[in-house]
Amino acid sequence: MSQNPARQRLRITFGKFAAMKYTSNLDVAKIWERVLRRADLPLLYSQGFNTRPRLQLATALPLGITSECELLDVSLRQRIPLDDVPQQLRDVSPDGLEIYSVEEVPVTSAALQTRVRSAHYVVTFEECVPDLDQRVAGLLAKHRILRTIQRKRRSVEKDLRPLINELKSGDPQVLQMHVAVGDRGNLRPRDVLEELDLHESWHRVHRHRLVLAETEEVTCN
Amino acid sequence: MRPEQIERVLDRILLKAERPGRYVGGEYNSIVKDWDATDLRVALAFPDIYDLGMSNLGVMILYEQLNQQPDILAERVFSPWVDMEALMRAEGLPLYSLETKHAIRDFDLLGISLPYEQLYTNALNLLDLAGMPVRSEDRDSTYPLVVAGGHACFNPEPVADFIDAFVIGEGEEIIVEVAHCVQALRGQSREELLRAVAGIQGMYVPRFYDVTYHRDGTVADIIPNRPDVPERVLKRIVRVLPPPFTRFLVPNIDTVHNRAPVEIMRGCTRGCRFCHAGMVTRPVRERPVPEVLEAIGKITASTGFEEISLLSLSSSDYGQVHELVSAIHDEFGEAGLSMSLPSLRIETASAELLSKLGDTRRSGFTFAPEAATERMRNLINKYVPTEQVLQTARDVYAGGWRTIKFYFMIGHPEETIDDVWGIIDLCKAVLREGRKELGNKANVNVGVSTFIPKPHTPFQWVPQDSREQVLEKQRLLKRELRGPGLHLRWNDIESSEFEGFLSRGDRRLGQVVQRAWELGCTFDAWQDRHYHDRWLQAFEEAGLHPDFYNHRTRGDHEVFPWEHIDVAVHRKFLLQDYQMSLKGETRIDCRDKCFACGILPKFTKTRSQTAASAWECPPVRPIAERKRAANVTLMP
Repeated sequence: MSQNPARQRLRITFGKFAAMKYTSNLDVAKIWERVLRRADLPLLYSQGFNTRPRLQLATALPLGITSECELLDVSLRQRIPLDDVPQQLRDVSPDGLEIYSVEEVPVTSAALQTRVRSAHYVVTFEECVPDLDQRVAGLLAKHRILRTIQRKRRSVEKDLRPLINELKSGDPQVLQMHVAVGDRGNLRPRDVLEELDLHESWHRVHRHRLVLAETEEVTCN
Repeated sequence: MRPEQIERVLDRILLKAERPGRYVGGEYNSIVKDWDATDLRVALAFPDIYDLGMSNLGVMILYEQLNQQPDILAERVFSPWVDMEALMRAEGLPLYSLETKHAIRDFDLLGISLPYEQLYTNALNLLDLAGMPVRSEDRDSTYPLVVAGGHACFNPEPVADFIDAFVIGEGEEIIVEVAHCVQALRGQSREELLRAVAGIQGMYVPRFYDVTYHRDGTVADIIPNRPDVPERVLKRIVRVLPPPFTRFLVPNIDTVHNRAPVEIMRGCTRGCRFCHAGMVTRPVRERPVPEVLEAIGKITASTGFEEISLLSLSSSDYGQVHELVSAIHDEFGEAGLSMSLPSLRIETASAELLSKLGDTRRSGFTFAPEAATERMRNLINKYVPTEQVLQTARDVYAGGWRTIKFYFMIGHPEETIDDVWGIIDLCKAVLREGRKELGNKANVNVGVSTFIPKPHTPFQWVPQDSREQVLEKQRLLKRELRGPGLHLRWNDIESSEFEGFLSRGDRRLGQVVQRAWELGCTFDAWQDRHYHDRWLQAFEEAGLHPDFYNHRTRGDHEVFPWEHIDVAVHRKFLLQDYQMSLKGETRIDCRDKCFACGILPKFTKTRSQTAASAWECPPVRPIAERKRAANVTLMP
């Protein structure tokens, strides 16, 4: 079975809101499996002991964060017309799982996970942070932001600074960040908030844009 | 607290809790009705965490039954895990429903599922987290009516102080009647509402019954203190199984069972003497094959679940089990649906059935021989010849499945060390069979539970085995059942003692339960959270002793604390069965011969209104017809 049995690959752009923001990446994969089964799409299943539909999520979204730009690739065992698929999916989706678009991508395209490079987030604080600008400027002024990370038996020093592409405020309640995501370097919004010493302030985080390699970029709105 | 306020607090604290998805609802197929536009509001509670409660079929059935009524809404609530409880208490956040985030205190009716006794302290904790006094007598009509049901409630006495009314028996119909009763009597006093509730057949209101005791602590009498309540509360049954529940809620987070259960049969005809469920769920009613198939079709379409579990107390006794399993295989196998058939009896698990059930995902099969010697098998009335066990084991291993799991039971007071050796020898013999087929890949997993005598069973008179005996038997098992391919699990002795006194406890245990909860006992079903010393302290403070409940042989005429609860199986039938057990006498499957357990006389009318094939009990004819028949035979 060296031949690729997938006849069609769909890329679904979706959002996570409400209760859905409390689901982990693993849970989201399971939720999607069931949505797709309810929609009765001709899913391609993996071979082997534990057969599962072939799904690829672009990247994990940390717990508690809402998003409007999540990506999922689904392999099908036969080709189907796509016109009605978004509505078919919406009809069987749980609350908080928003479906924006379904497009066809080549079955041979590289795995989504390997192509994600960065993400844009907006953080909204429940209460004003009067010195937000200064905190941001202070952090950005650093040449290195060293973090000690425990890896199995040894601890590793990691520099977070190169993972921050952009960090800006203006409104003392709102922080915009553009940070690295993916297997070449990954920074969670919480890491940035900890560096700003704002992680304990009540806030909400929303991901609104994912950037993929090879100039392929996904935006919603 | 208003829902908006509750949601605001949740938004702030939820990320501090482990698995916050437990506390937010929003599942596909959950039913969210308009709170203000719905007249009667019911909260359904399963007093353990979401992950467990969501797998409970009973709660789901009631959820649907109630929500089908246009004027009723039902919402769910589970016990918050200890981390979330601490957050809630710190924030003053009351217990709330998952659907609309209303405080439980704002509902009209709170239904608590009590399938097993270990949940009692959690039930009290739920009431407390809801901001309600835990004792029934301290709650007036401004609080929701608190109703409990489930298998543990066939002896409701240990929690009689806390629950306003119990559902005795099957809840599908009665829950709607209770809800309508609450609706009709809105504005009346709690006492008046309870009087009306007590008038519904199958409802037990403890405050209308007085319990008196002999000086030795045994119950002297349980008598109604009002003329208009029944002396004994007869359990409620449904004539035929209602259409199966199919719109299962699809959790957004991983739960204990990621599958949809379909009940194929209720009740069991085998008459195993230790089995509580087998005695209290009579008569046996089977669901027709086409109905099961239709339900599976609906479930897969409405949930996307990948596994179906066919529920019953003894699935391979289901009359058309082969037809059913083949049909499911043919109709749904393609779609990647797998099925599980728990509670397979060894002698009916043919190689053919195993092959239909076994798919690539399955690693093995589970059986419950319970006993391993002829003597014990006769005593408990679960007779399976050793050769049959070995044959089934050969079939399983020959089919390529590596693991057989067995459930055995130790701790019947008549059991000797030789009987325990029987378990050891049998497991080793099975492993040898496995080795012949699969070499070192064969496994035998052995779960050995400790026998706990249950109310309404032939063993309700029997003492629990002594602590020393049980420990000695467990030591032997641990010493012998080890090594490659053998895996032993057993019950912690304290958990068994605990389950024992709650199972056969009387109303006086209410103060023990309450005190244990005050001392911090919750989640007693979780072995690492069961603090036995606190229970012992609670017993001591109440002037009671666990041994009185666990290690005493009851006299033939002793009045049981559950005497006023009528499961429609005659006491004299149970006593006779108990006496037969001591003589090693058995009863065959009552599908083949009716032993007059009491179901038919109690439910004569129901039976006569039901198709002959719908119950496994023989049909009864109306009295007039019976007389006619008698006359005909008498005539020369």
